[in-house]
Amino acid sequence: MASATRRTSQRVSLLVLVLASITILTLDYHGEVSRGITRVRNGVRDALAPAQRGIAAALHPVGDVFAGAFHYGALQTENQRLQSQLGATQAKLAENDFAARQAAQVLAIAHLSFVQNIKTTPAEVISAPTSNFQYTMEIASGTGAGVGPRMPVVAARGLVGTVLDAGGQTSTVRLITDKSSSIGVTFGTSVGGGSAIADGQGLGEPLSIDELAGSAPQVGETVFTSGTDGGAYPAGLPVARVTSVHVSAGGLSVNVAAKPLVDLEALQYVSVCEWLPQP
Amino acid sequence: MNALSWGRFALVALVALVVQVAILDQIELIGAHPDVMIVLVGAAGAIGGPVRGAMLGFVLGLVADLVLPTPYGLSSLTFVLVGFAAGLVRSLPGDRDGRSAQAVTTVAAAALGTMLYAAIGELVGQSGMLSREAVFAMLIVTLGAIVIAVPADAAIRWVLSGADRAVSGHSMPAGGSATR
Repeated sequence: MASATRRTSQRVSLLVLVLASITILTLDYHGEVSRGITRVRNGVRDALAPAQRGIAAALHPVGDVFAGAFHYGALQTENQRLQSQLGATQAKLAENDFAARQAAQVLAIAHLSFVQNIKTTPAEVISAPTSNFQYTMEIASGTGAGVGPRMPVVAARGLVGTVLDAGGQTSTVRLITDKSSSIGVTFGTSVGGGSAIADGQGLGEPLSIDELAGSAPQVGETVFTSGTDGGAYPAGLPVARVTSVHVSAGGLSVNVAAKPLVDLEALQYVSVCEWLPQP
Repeated sequence: MNALSWGRFALVALVALVVQVAILDQIELIGAHPDVMIVLVGAAGAIGGPVRGAMLGFVLGLVADLVLPTPYGLSSLTFVLVGFAAGLVRSLPGDRDGRSAQAVTTVAAAALGTMLYAAIGELVGQSGMLSREAVFAMLIVTLGAIVIAVPADAAIRWVLSGADRAVSGHSMPAGGSATR
């Protein structure tokens, strides 16, 4: 009898807690409540930022050991410096390549001249993804520095992602490899070939781009933001490099794999473009 | 649970959150990192029983969700189920109150809880969660749990001993709480 009563009590407790969780989950999808929750989350992230920054800096060599046993110390610093220089040069070349190859009509539609004059805010990366299932990172710049949701984030080599949430001092950036990330892109040599969508496939995985067979890119081509996918990103930002092109059996479509130009797992500094999508 | 144990629990949850975001999130292997919060939930169930496991899981989920980009409440829902299930293991035949058994339950709860989290995430519209990455995450969370389980169990034992001391006037016997 006592055992049955205890089991009933357990079930009631479970039911109440499950319903409470579902209620909170539902409320998070509701406009006003969701905004309140976001404010609380941003406040907590801001409060944790000093600890994150301090401990992350202190433990950086430890993290490096875990991340890659063969990358360490001065050699790694030198390597990162050279990679950064190379990246900056490649980005410049890629921009020139883009500007040269994309006709004036594309540039005019995409307002590339405006994009090239976007003001940027540098930010330190203070945390790797906090979730094992969504690929985001925390940066040490928030609304206080002019950073806001939906602003594109770039590094020396190209696009990193977009600001998801911004608190006073920190922001959460959704990486381009996150599975919910979709970017309107175009290829460096396919002038007038229209826009395709590059979908994130997870950290360390190439972006997946479905393209019409007629405008199939070549392996090694650079992928740029097209700026025509509802204006989510400015045009001309280097995104990735084509690593493989697979034509479907019927020859009607092409699936392109493209590796992000930015090493998203080894970022320390990024720049936030103070640019917002067109309404 | 009384005020003392809730106070201890708040302290444990806060320390766990800081450890998670400042240290464990930086230790990334095959795209995943260890998760101390879900290990604590497993420990809460394994030591405190199903009701306490679910209750502490609910609160730990709310705390964990503060720093996650996933919908608020997703961790709570998962952790309630994980804590309750881990607690039910105690009622199975055999010696389930030994510290080794509790540690094994904690690790198993963390591993299965990670997959449950991905499955519920997929159900509430977070596409791509139930994928190869979920298996990697389960692997890394399990490896982390093997390391974290013993201190997590000790922390939960400390939290719950406050409640048991208040009720019985002396500390909880080693290996678990006096009540289920």
